[in-house]
Amino acid sequence: MTNRKRIKELILPYIVSIIAIILTLIPIYWLLITSLKKKKDSFTRPPKFIFEPTFENFIKVWNNDFYAQTIFNSLLITLIGIIISIFIALLCAYGLKRYKIKFKSAFMKWLLVAYMLPEFLFVLPMYSIYQSLGIYDTHFGLALMYQVHVLPFSIWMLRSFFDEIPSEIDDAALIDGCRPLTTLFKIYVPIVIPGIVATSVLNAIWMWNELAIAIGLTFSEAHPVTLGISQFRGYASIDWGGMTASSVIALVPLILFSLFAQKHIVKGLTLGSVKA
Amino acid sequence: MSRHIGYLFIAPAFVILFFTSIYPVAFSFYFSFFDWNWGNQENFIGLDNYLFLLTDPEFWTVIYNTFVFASVSCFLEVTIGIILAIFVDRIVFCSTVIRTILILPLMVSGIIVSMISKIMFNNLFGVIPYGLKQIDIRSSFFGSTEAAMPTLIGVDVWWQTSFVFIIILAALQGIPNDTVEAAKIDGASEWDITRFIRLPLIKPIIFLVIIFRSIDTLKIFDLVWGITGGGPGISTEVVQTYSYRMAFGFLEMSKSMTVMVIFSMVVFTLILIYSKFEGKSDE
Repeated sequence: MTNRKRIKELILPYIVSIIAIILTLIPIYWLLITSLKKKKDSFTRPPKFIFEPTFENFIKVWNNDFYAQTIFNSLLITLIGIIISIFIALLCAYGLKRYKIKFKSAFMKWLLVAYMLPEFLFVLPMYSIYQSLGIYDTHFGLALMYQVHVLPFSIWMLRSFFDEIPSEIDDAALIDGCRPLTTLFKIYVPIVIPGIVATSVLNAIWMWNELAIAIGLTFSEAHPVTLGISQFRGYASIDWGGMTASSVIALVPLILFSLFAQKHIVKGLTLGSVKA
Repeated sequence: MSRHIGYLFIAPAFVILFFTSIYPVAFSFYFSFFDWNWGNQENFIGLDNYLFLLTDPEFWTVIYNTFVFASVSCFLEVTIGIILAIFVDRIVFCSTVIRTILILPLMVSGIIVSMISKIMFNNLFGVIPYGLKQIDIRSSFFGSTEAAMPTLIGVDVWWQTSFVFIIILAALQGIPNDTVEAAKIDGASEWDITRFIRLPLIKPIIFLVIIFRSIDTLKIFDLVWGITGGGPGISTEVVQTYSYRMAFGFLEMSKSMTVMVIFSMVVFTLILIYSKFEGKSDE
């Protein structure tokens, strides 16, 4: 191999990566600088790259009661959703690992189907079911409906973490007279804490970003942050400051969060089929 | 008792999933045979909803749009994602930083992506139409019936290529080193190794990624709802936005459920194909 060809082979990956990084970051960068522009700076031709930054959009958005409320709603919904899904998924994953269950593979297939079917197949009937149950437009109702996605996902994830625990531990616990629930919470849970954290983070990211189910099952009281952002997207008026500042506020915690789950993201994205 | 205790552990998950999946799906299926439109009354009309939709040109346009969106974006995302992963796989220096940056789009929700696109592609003040005008290209993106769908696909490619990238990269890095070393000793070039050894080895994962992406793109909702709302006209209307508009805009509840029932069969078939494959890889 000639020297020149060798250098080319070494450099090409970097060139490709740099192009990809630039293309990835431009839209995010544009979102950020638009949120820092004064109104008169955002509607100019040519678009301004240099301007005097201001936080007035953020202050305005934060003082918008409706938007602030949606942030709070999303926090609450995400929290309820995580508690329900992790607790129930722990039980279920333990049961699947420890006991012989008939129709186990059918159950796993059902999880996959529930996880993947299109949202409006559930949302339309739930709209009316929820109204008759009185949980329409409540935080709990939305967190409950999110289980159709996050519960199968959590079972999947926790199961793959449980699989790494040798079953001898179980037998030892049994001999020591541990009841199944004690074994689960005293022995299994401490071992898989990192797995529980990763699963919770990935669940939180999904619930925080969810839109379709929220549109169907909330009216105003329990609107999550995705709908809070979309209110700035008027058809007649264009509120770029509101659109971008509200997006940035919703995005920052997610990016920080995702750094924690880095290691587990691949496993999560493929339901445990690919290990990173 | 102890023989059945396993079922007690699964029972809560079973109950919740029954309530959130089987029950509403059965409800949708049942009401697809009625003419319910939010009122207190509904009449059994048999297959009328199905016949209406299957003979309605608008429905077929929506199906066509959905498949165009899904197939083109899926194709582009998988192709670009694999190429990118092959290159990044060769990088030693700074690879963690590169990976961290390249998966950022996955953290951005559909609605935020919509906001960014609306701003960047804005006909009057958007930076992209302005840039194109400097090199004498007059453009209209979401405003024109021809350009709206391709632009939407472009936005989705920006958003979701990282999904393909990060998974394929993990798969490539999981390939045992000795296989590659052996080929290197035999004098194979980097490209040959990629083409004849690495890619064939990760074929099952490429297949998995294609299935995941095709289901996800068929289900697309937030981007379309957030950017074009299905317009102009119905040029970007896809199944889920169509169903949403029908139920909450035109109050045609039963018809909307019928749309979802028909459509879910397609998604369901894809899931079955995937689970067949998944079962195989377990063996």
